[in-house]
Amino acid sequence: MHIVVCAKQIPDPETPPAAFKIDAATNKVIPAAGIAPVLSQFDGIAAEAALRIKEAKGGKVTVISLGAESAQAAIKQVLAMGADEGVLLKDAAFDDGDSYTTAKALAAAIKKLGDVDAVFCGRQAADWDMGQVGLLVAEELGWPVAIIAKGVEATDSGLKIQRVLADGFETVEMPLPAVVTVSNEFGDPRYPKLPQIMAAAKKTVTPWAAADLGLDAGSVGKAGARLQLQKLFIPEKSSKVELIAGDTPQEQAAALVAKLVADKTL
Amino acid sequence: MAESTNRPARPQRLVGAWWGPAVGLSALGFYASATLPADTPTREIYFNIPQGIWAVYVFMSALVGLLVYGFVRHSSLWSIGKPTPGVLRDVPQRLRNAIRLGMAQDKVRRDRYAGIMHWCIFSSIIVLTLVTAQVAIDADSPLDFLHGPYYLFFSFYGDLFGLIGLIGVGMALYRRYFAQMHRIRWDERLEDHLIIVGLGLVLLSGFFVEAARIMVTELEQHPDWARWSFGAFTLAKGLDVFGFEEHQLLSFHAAAWWFHVSMAFGWLGLIVFTRLDHIFFAPINAFFLRTDSPGRLAKIENIEEQEVFGVGFIQDFTWKQLFELDACVRCGRCTEVCPANISGQPLSPMHLIQDLKAHLANVGPAIAQHRHETGDAGREVSPVALIGDVIHDETLWACRTCGACVQECPVMIEHVPTIVDMRRYLVMSEARIPATAQAALENMEMRGHPWRGTALERTTWMEGLGEVPIFDGSQDYLYWVGCSGSLVERNLPITKAVFRLVKESGASFGVLGQEETCNGDPARRLGNEYLFQILAQQLVETFKAKNVQKVITNCPHCFNTFKNEYPQFDGNFEVIHHTEFLAGAMQTGALKATHAVNANVTYHDSCYLGRINGVYDAPRQILELVPGTNLTEMQRNLSKGLCCGAGGGNMWQEEVGERRVNHVRSEEAIGTGADQVISNCPFCIQMFEDGVPAIHPEEEGRMRPFDIAELLEKSVFGETVTAGEQSS
Ligand SMILES: Cc1cc2nc3c(=O)[nH]c(=O)nc-3n(C[C@@H](O)[C@H](O)[C@H](O)COP(=O)(O)OP(=O)(O)OC[C@H]3O[C@@H](n4cnc5c(N)ncnc54)[C@H](O)[C@@H]3O)c2cc1C
Ligand code: SF4
Ligand code: SF4
Repeated sequence: MHIVVCAKQIPDPETPPAAFKIDAATNKVIPAAGIAPVLSQFDGIAAEAALRIKEAKGGKVTVISLGAESAQAAIKQVLAMGADEGVLLKDAAFDDGDSYTTAKALAAAIKKLGDVDAVFCGRQAADWDMGQVGLLVAEELGWPVAIIAKGVEATDSGLKIQRVLADGFETVEMPLPAVVTVSNEFGDPRYPKLPQIMAAAKKTVTPWAAADLGLDAGSVGKAGARLQLQKLFIPEKSSKVELIAGDTPQEQAAALVAKLVADKTL
Repeated sequence: MAESTNRPARPQRLVGAWWGPAVGLSALGFYASATLPADTPTREIYFNIPQGIWAVYVFMSALVGLLVYGFVRHSSLWSIGKPTPGVLRDVPQRLRNAIRLGMAQDKVRRDRYAGIMHWCIFSSIIVLTLVTAQVAIDADSPLDFLHGPYYLFFSFYGDLFGLIGLIGVGMALYRRYFAQMHRIRWDERLEDHLIIVGLGLVLLSGFFVEAARIMVTELEQHPDWARWSFGAFTLAKGLDVFGFEEHQLLSFHAAAWWFHVSMAFGWLGLIVFTRLDHIFFAPINAFFLRTDSPGRLAKIENIEEQEVFGVGFIQDFTWKQLFELDACVRCGRCTEVCPANISGQPLSPMHLIQDLKAHLANVGPAIAQHRHETGDAGREVSPVALIGDVIHDETLWACRTCGACVQECPVMIEHVPTIVDMRRYLVMSEARIPATAQAALENMEMRGHPWRGTALERTTWMEGLGEVPIFDGSQDYLYWVGCSGSLVERNLPITKAVFRLVKESGASFGVLGQEETCNGDPARRLGNEYLFQILAQQLVETFKAKNVQKVITNCPHCFNTFKNEYPQFDGNFEVIHHTEFLAGAMQTGALKATHAVNANVTYHDSCYLGRINGVYDAPRQILELVPGTNLTEMQRNLSKGLCCGAGGGNMWQEEVGERRVNHVRSEEAIGTGADQVISNCPFCIQMFEDGVPAIHPEEEGRMRPFDIAELLEKSVFGETVTAGEQSS
């Protein structure tokens, strides 16, 4: 089975709050000095899910990322975990796109690879947290999709997926080819073995531009985006403290409840 | 400096170089006797035992044959190991170690009772072997010297050391059979009884042989000669009251002689099959002992070209590491001081060494043969996995690399490199690693520090300190703050205190701020040598580019790594820990501790400053110079100090076992009655912050942990810079 893992490189979510800054003029995050971008957490988990299937059933795993040159590091990380090949979709034309244009480019790359049986995405990218790309890739490819999976298993006829629901789990079976988005409930990604890290370091990542994918520059990136970013800002946080009066804990509790009810919090 | 309270005296030589005077006196007596006429006091060698002479030579040849067999058998096992780099470097130092640690037994004496006991047995065996050798030479060579005053002296010291040996045996019997739950019984085997009872019988029977001979040939004829053999003489006097006939005495003498001689050789034969082999292996292992710092782990050279990382198979140890397994005497000293073991966690260094040894004996011969036949490493030969089956993962992870075991081991076994080698295999070859430790390693890879989820920046600590000079190569010192010093909330006051004090001392210094990265210590100790090398190389380059010459660290782990490990990467800097710098500044008068800090304190020696780098005095000097502080030492202190539990990457692991190490150590600190526990390491402070409340839940009267710099800051400035923040 040939599985594609879509892996996104994002600004480090653990950037200390004081170092997280936004350029109001361009509506962009200013990369924090000395803090390198990282692989989106859920994508490492998607890679783990793909690798476990490869180990159980054989086959091959290809990792694709759309992003800047720095995204090589994210690709290498998945290669070190055990993926076989890496593709970087890099083109100035892809800049400032949205979930839709990203999905479009990813889908085009997946079509170009040709023999793909399944696409694994993270449940959402840990920066924008849109949770759109996986669904949109499926749409572009015309494949079935199962989202927010906590278990993924290859069967003789396709995939058996355990999905996380608001109030429990459900198990679905789907034929191949298919798209799955994987959630953190799946488990932690593996720690790469050193021989694989070294092998990954030696592998070359295939670079594809929009033209390689047969995509018109006007249909991707900012030009093709359907989403308009109005304003990017850090919400002002203010806290007001009100001490609830009362002589005994009981009185204080009663006063607190009354207050919460009045505020319609309860 | 004056001695602090409760401070154990440095181990003292029991009897000094006892063998020096002994050899001198013997030579003198030998000379005197050789020049005397032959009718002076003497005795007939092989008296009453006509076949004695050939019997002794038969026994002797058997023993030599046995020893050679044993050596060949063992060495075929050691030889499956890898080469040991640098084992013949510093030969003079190695010879000194072999004498000091192997012969004079400095380590054995760290336990006083055992030291005396062992000295008694050891010296008795050596002297009695010399006595026997002299008898043989006198009998079978043209030399004839056992007569005259030397013979009398010879009789005297032969008896003396026979008696000393019996005292040693008595002490050993007491310890083994009457002392409750003693460490030497944690892995007791049949051979242990054979060795001690056997030796007792050899010595006792020796006295009986001599007594019987004296009764026949000297008691009446030459009582003045007999007196010199005071032990046997007393025994002879005692036996004399029974009024034995001469023929009875002669038969008894013959029987006792045969018993004595066969027991003695039999006992020596045990060397080949039991832990008595330490007679040879201990001094040899002392010779092989590393001559560089115990704080340095071996560098894997050309790591990118290796195929196997660390040790996952017994044959991947160096032959020296295999050799030392054979030296272990199962004394339990290592396990007795191991913080993991003390806390009921799944690690006993003694059992680890013994399990490795048993595994080597099990699979070693097959591996050696496979090697011989096919020339390949034979990693598939063993039916059981070294790591997982023989040594469990959790055992390896429980180690703090605190070095207490290495410090105590009387036969100079180095457990820490052996444990870390196996961790290297787990992490780099198998990627099998506890989740929290993995998170720390990943964090170091991704973010250049092990503190996952910190909200602090590397410059946060500078707030409220005015201008902080950035190191630009023109200053004398780089003040290295470290990840823990800048990214962990609790440690910021320490970082600030050190900064203020260094500044106050007038030293010219700067900091790196945002440009600091992890020095790699946690990665190396957790077994990720590859990551460590990347981080170390990077930092060495940064230091060189900035022309760093001298570094002040506030963390013993950074200190140790810079000082002992960076030279492996061509990074040679003068590294001092803040306790050394501050003590020095106080000595020169650059810093004055003027305000009284009225506190009863106890001092915790961090492993990497104390035991591993030998800095015990500087912090105690500071404590002494701060007015108003009163130091009460913990029972386990100085080189016997107990780890706080965080070392060896355990700062980032969940502990498994009955108790947590920091709870045990906090209990000991609280037990001194002090109201502050002072240390010198950000990890120790964090461990106490967590451990003290667990032991003392009530806030009222609870002991508080402080770095020594925080204490000194109060004394120098009257108040800490963070005092306002803390009270708000
Ligand atoms: C107005 C606007 C401006 C933006 N500007 C930038 C910018 O300058 N630079 C920038 O990097 N991003 C920028 N983004 C983010 C943008 O590129 C897409 O939103 C993003 O690629 C899709 O991420 P998501 O958060 O919607 O993904 P989600 O839909 O939350 O992602 C789900 C999964 O899809 C896959 N996936 C998502 N994105 C990628 C990818 N790029 N490569 C491979 N797999 C992926 C992953 O498996 C991921 O787990 C901008 C977004 C907007 C709306
Ligand atoms: S280094 Fe410390 S923790 Fe590790 S085995 Fe030795 S004594 Fe135990
Ligand atoms: S390793 Fe050393 S200290 Fe531990 S039991 Fe063996 S000889 Fe004793």
